[in-house]
Amino acid sequence: MTQFNLPDDARAAVESLRNADIVIGIPSYNNARTIGHVVRAAHAGLAKYFPEATGVIVNSDGGSTDSTRQEVLSSQVEDSHLMMISTRVSAVHRLSFPYHGIPGKGSAFRLIFGIASSLKARACAVVDSDLRSITPEWIDLLIRPVLYGGYDFVAPYYHRHKYDGTITNSIIYPLTRALYGKRIRQPIGGDFGVSLPLLGAYLSRDDWETDVARYGIDIWMTTIAVAEGFRVCQSFLGAKLHDAKDPGADLSAMLQQVVGSVFSLMQQYQQVWESASGSEPVELFGFRYDVGLDPIDVKLSRMVQAFLKGFGDLSEIWSLALSPPHLDALRTLAASARLVDPRHFHIDDELWAGIIYEFAAAFRAQPPVRSHLVKSLTPLYLGRVASFVNETRDMSAAEVERRIESLCVVFEYLKPLLVRRWNGDTAPFPKLPDSRQPAPGTALEV
Amino acid sequence: MIRTLQQVLEQTLARLSDQVTTYLPSFLVALIILLGAWVVAFCLRILLSRAFKGRGVDRFLHESGIGPMLDHSGRLRASLIVANTVFWGIMLIGLLNAVSVFDSRLATLFVENTVALLPKLLTAGAILLVGFWLAQYMGRGALVWASNEGFPWARHLAALVRVVIAFVSVVVASDVLQFARTVFLAAFVIFAAAVMLTISLVVALNSRDFLQRLFPSRQETSRSERERSLWSHL
Repeated sequence: MTQFNLPDDARAAVESLRNADIVIGIPSYNNARTIGHVVRAAHAGLAKYFPEATGVIVNSDGGSTDSTRQEVLSSQVEDSHLMMISTRVSAVHRLSFPYHGIPGKGSAFRLIFGIASSLKARACAVVDSDLRSITPEWIDLLIRPVLYGGYDFVAPYYHRHKYDGTITNSIIYPLTRALYGKRIRQPIGGDFGVSLPLLGAYLSRDDWETDVARYGIDIWMTTIAVAEGFRVCQSFLGAKLHDAKDPGADLSAMLQQVVGSVFSLMQQYQQVWESASGSEPVELFGFRYDVGLDPIDVKLSRMVQAFLKGFGDLSEIWSLALSPPHLDALRTLAASARLVDPRHFHIDDELWAGIIYEFAAAFRAQPPVRSHLVKSLTPLYLGRVASFVNETRDMSAAEVERRIESLCVVFEYLKPLLVRRWNGDTAPFPKLPDSRQPAPGTALEV
Repeated sequence: MIRTLQQVLEQTLARLSDQVTTYLPSFLVALIILLGAWVVAFCLRILLSRAFKGRGVDRFLHESGIGPMLDHSGRLRASLIVANTVFWGIMLIGLLNAVSVFDSRLATLFVENTVALLPKLLTAGAILLVGFWLAQYMGRGALVWASNEGFPWARHLAALVRVVIAFVSVVVASDVLQFARTVFLAAFVIFAAAVMLTISLVVALNSRDFLQRLFPSRQETSRSERERSLWSHL
């Protein structure tokens, strides 16, 4: 167990406030354009839905060079515009501190959690600073299940464009659902509600200096909550619309941090996920409604080209993880992709689940090449996204959701093979009959 | 004339007989020692390969990547390594003892040099092992990075990284062994200088075109990322 010490300025602020009921955390880095809106929404949410609770908004900043921190402290919200039934009793305090340590979202969260824990906040919510669609209701939906429902972890549930959140849809959601048996639709959504006991569990861990400090934080939080038996629920937040992303963001590093964190946690919680079979729904709060979403344009041919280039360059590394049948299947795929239109490129669910499972097992078996292995997934992931785009081009949101559901069922069905491979059995995965789509809740007998 | 020939022949035969009576017993003893060493080494190899498990060492070899590097089939096991090390160790001791039977200056020199060289050989072997492992590791890292960045000659770059690191380890090992050290060092300096010069010339003469060709997909990526920057992978 490691001791997290608050920086001096944060400690002084905590000593001055002494305690709080609710802490809203907002990690940021150069988000001056959007963070004002997020702070106003958080402030309004606290004022409107928790008028008697002492609320603190904490901005944990990664050294922004724009006016992000000034925006946090100066943005105004008029209570009279909120149509409040009750009068606000307690003030909403705002704090903004730079965090120290490894630059990344996880380090920002650590400071927020440290402050919330020191203030003995009964509930803490974290929301992204680039959100354009956040409303005061988000605060209610993330905090109320913790304060009044006895839940420890509230995961978000959004409507997103079918091509948005592709790492979530193609890897993280199917994999975590198959592993831990809980259908948390947005395990790396970025906006969460957390109870004080769970905050304590997070802060007591000693893996904060790993990929958790960066993009791995979201799946780390979700997995710990599920695997350690905390009460988990979801809240429907509407649409997730965010600011434009950094064009220079390194996809392979992002993939390494997120997928590497899942694989690392698989080692820690092997006993938990090995014994879980099938999956069960997780309670969903909030009124569901359809929303309009920003259109997202994807470059199909570029993704297929990335897959082909990856096949040409990285087969040597893939062979460290993949069994000969899966390598052969990829070879066949690459050969046909060179001949046909990218719009016909297709990686089937069974092959994709097998690839992810074999990479997970190789991650465990070969520590020196972990980073290479996970980074080498990038072209495979882009190939899978291209395949998903091809399949869902003309589908409605509901149809796409059913398509993702069928992928999850395949992950659950093949899980016994993951257990076998994880424990050192190198026999190749058996080929399923072409037409066979496993029934929900079934698992392959091995 | 015939008498002279007879004398020469008799002297030759006498010398031959003299040498045979001098060296044959030593040769036979040396053979017996070598045979004895082989029998002992052979028996120990069979015994060790069956009795010694060394699962921890097997795991280390597999997890560190040294096993697959030395044997691509992946069948390399600790028991095999220990059994073969013991076998060749005993054979070496047998050989040295067999040579020392002759009790000549040359034999003594051979034994002394071999014993003195042994630690250096082991050190050089370890340097080569680490060097080749590092070359493979760094080469893979370069390959993944270059491929994900859309670098057109990713495999060539990885091969270059591997060759450079392996070459460095060979230079260091040769220095430890004091074997052709100046030759290897000079070759390495020339090689490194040639690589640097080539890169500098290409970049200086064609910097713009070269960089555009070097990172085409990176530029395309940035452009398209800006176009569809609302796409979030997470």
